[in-house]
Amino acid sequence: MRLIEDKDRRQRAILNIIVLLVAFVGVAKRSQTLEETSTFENILIDSFSPIQTSVTSVRTQVSSFFDHYLANISASRKNVDLRKRVGDLENSINGFEELEKENKRLKDLLQFGQGIGYKKILAQVVAWDASSDFRVIRINKGLSNGVRLQSPVVTSQGLVGYIYRLTDHFADILTVLDNNNRVDGLIQRVRAHGIVEGFNNEKSIMKYVSRAEPIILGDVVITSGLGNIYPKGIHVGTVSRIERESYGITQNVEITPAVDFGRLEEVVILSAEGDEQKKREWEALDQMDEAQENQSRSNSGRGR
Amino acid sequence: MKGDWLKLIRPLGITLLILIVLEIFSTALVPMLGLTKYRIPFNILIILYLGFKLETPYTSLLIFVLQYTHSFFSIEGWEMGTIAGVIICIVISYLKDLLHLSSSIITIFITQVFQFLWFVIVSVLLYLKEDNFSYIVEKFWRFLPESIAISLLAPFFFGILDVIWRTETDRSLGESV
Repeated sequence: MRLIEDKDRRQRAILNIIVLLVAFVGVAKRSQTLEETSTFENILIDSFSPIQTSVTSVRTQVSSFFDHYLANISASRKNVDLRKRVGDLENSINGFEELEKENKRLKDLLQFGQGIGYKKILAQVVAWDASSDFRVIRINKGLSNGVRLQSPVVTSQGLVGYIYRLTDHFADILTVLDNNNRVDGLIQRVRAHGIVEGFNNEKSIMKYVSRAEPIILGDVVITSGLGNIYPKGIHVGTVSRIERESYGITQNVEITPAVDFGRLEEVVILSAEGDEQKKREWEALDQMDEAQENQSRSNSGRGR
Repeated sequence: MKGDWLKLIRPLGITLLILIVLEIFSTALVPMLGLTKYRIPFNILIILYLGFKLETPYTSLLIFVLQYTHSFFSIEGWEMGTIAGVIICIVISYLKDLLHLSSSIITIFITQVFQFLWFVIVSVLLYLKEDNFSYIVEKFWRFLPESIAISLLAPFFFGILDVIWRTETDRSLGESV
C-alpha cells in the first residue's frame, strides 16, 4: 500500500523495473565476439581515446628516457632492434616450414581459396580494457586507416587477436587471452586440430584435441585457417602443459601464447583487401537463402 | 532535491568527469606500468556511493549513465553492471536504517560486503550466459585484490563525492540540500 501512496517510491520502483528490463534484454542480446558501434558511441570513443593515447605516449617517453639514456645509451636500443629482428626471422622460418607442408600445386589446380592479399597496418597500443574480466587492448588505428571488423592482429612474435570493436580512429582487439576469443588451432608437428581459447592473463587452453594425438611439451601451435578470420600458419604459442584424464576422448592442452602481452606496444593489423568481395559473396548467399525460404513458404501456402 | 532531477545534472556531470579521468588512468597508465592482470573498477565505487548516500527515485537512471560511460572504456558493456548496481541499490534502500558510514573502518567493511554482493550477481549472470564455472573461480581470485583496493579507497573517494553531491558523511542526499 505504501508503494502506491508514496509518489517517490512508486516512481523509483517503475524506473528500477524499466532499467532492469532494458538491461536484461541488453545482456541477452550482447555478443561477446563482435560489437558494432553506433555513431554516438563512435564519437565518444574517438573523443576519449586521444587522451588515453597522450597518457600512454607520456609514459612511453618517460620510460624510454630511463631505459635508453640513463641505463645504457646504445646497448638497450640495439637489444630491442635485435630482438625484433630475431622475432621477424623466427616468424619467417615458421612461414617457410608451413609453405613446405602446404600442397600448393594441388591447391592451385583445384582453385581452392582465393589467395586474398593482406594489407599490413602498423598500430600502437594505447590502452587496455577497463575491466580485468576482458583481455582487450585499444589501438590507435581505425576505420579511416583501412582497419575492418574481425581483421586479424599479429606481431613479429605471433598472433594477438582480432578486431572486436571499431571506430573511425581507434579499434579494440579481443586478444587470444580472452575466453571469448576462439581460434581454430593446429599443432604444427602432428597436424592435430583443436580450439584455442583464452583462459587467464598468461595462458590459453586448447580444447577438443583427440586423446590419441601424441602431443608433447613444447609443440608449436599455429592457426589452421579455418573460421574465416585468421590466415593459416600464424604462430599462436607453444604447449606448456598437457592434461589427460582417465576418462573422455579429448585432452586439455595449455598454451603459452607466443606474444608477450605484458610488453605489447605495437601490433600489425592484417586487413584483407578482399573483404568487400567476401562481404558481397556472403550477402548474395543470404539473399539466395531468403529467396529459397520465400519460395518454399509460397509453395506450402498453395498446397493448403 | 528528492524528485528534482535538474539538481542532479551538475553533480552527475562532475562525477562523470571524475569517472572518465579515473578510467583513463586505469586503462592507459596502470597496465603500461606492468599491472595488466588487475584493474581498479572505479565505476563500482561510484555506484555504491550513489546507493549509500542518494535519496532520489532516479538512482537507476544515474547508474545507467555511469555504466554507459564506463562501456566506452570496456567491452563489458553497460548491462551487467547496471543490473548489479540497481539490485544493490534496492538492497541498500531496505537496509538504509542499519547502514551508517560513520567511520573509515565501517565504510571499508560495508563497501567490501556490497562488492561481494556485486560479484555474486555478476557471476550468476555470467554463469547463466557462458555456462563456465572455472571462469568464475578465476574471476574470484582477481576480484579479491581489486575489491580490497576499492574498499580501502572508499573513505577517501566518498569524502570527495560528498562534496560534489553535497551530502554529509552519515546522511542521505536530499535532506541536507
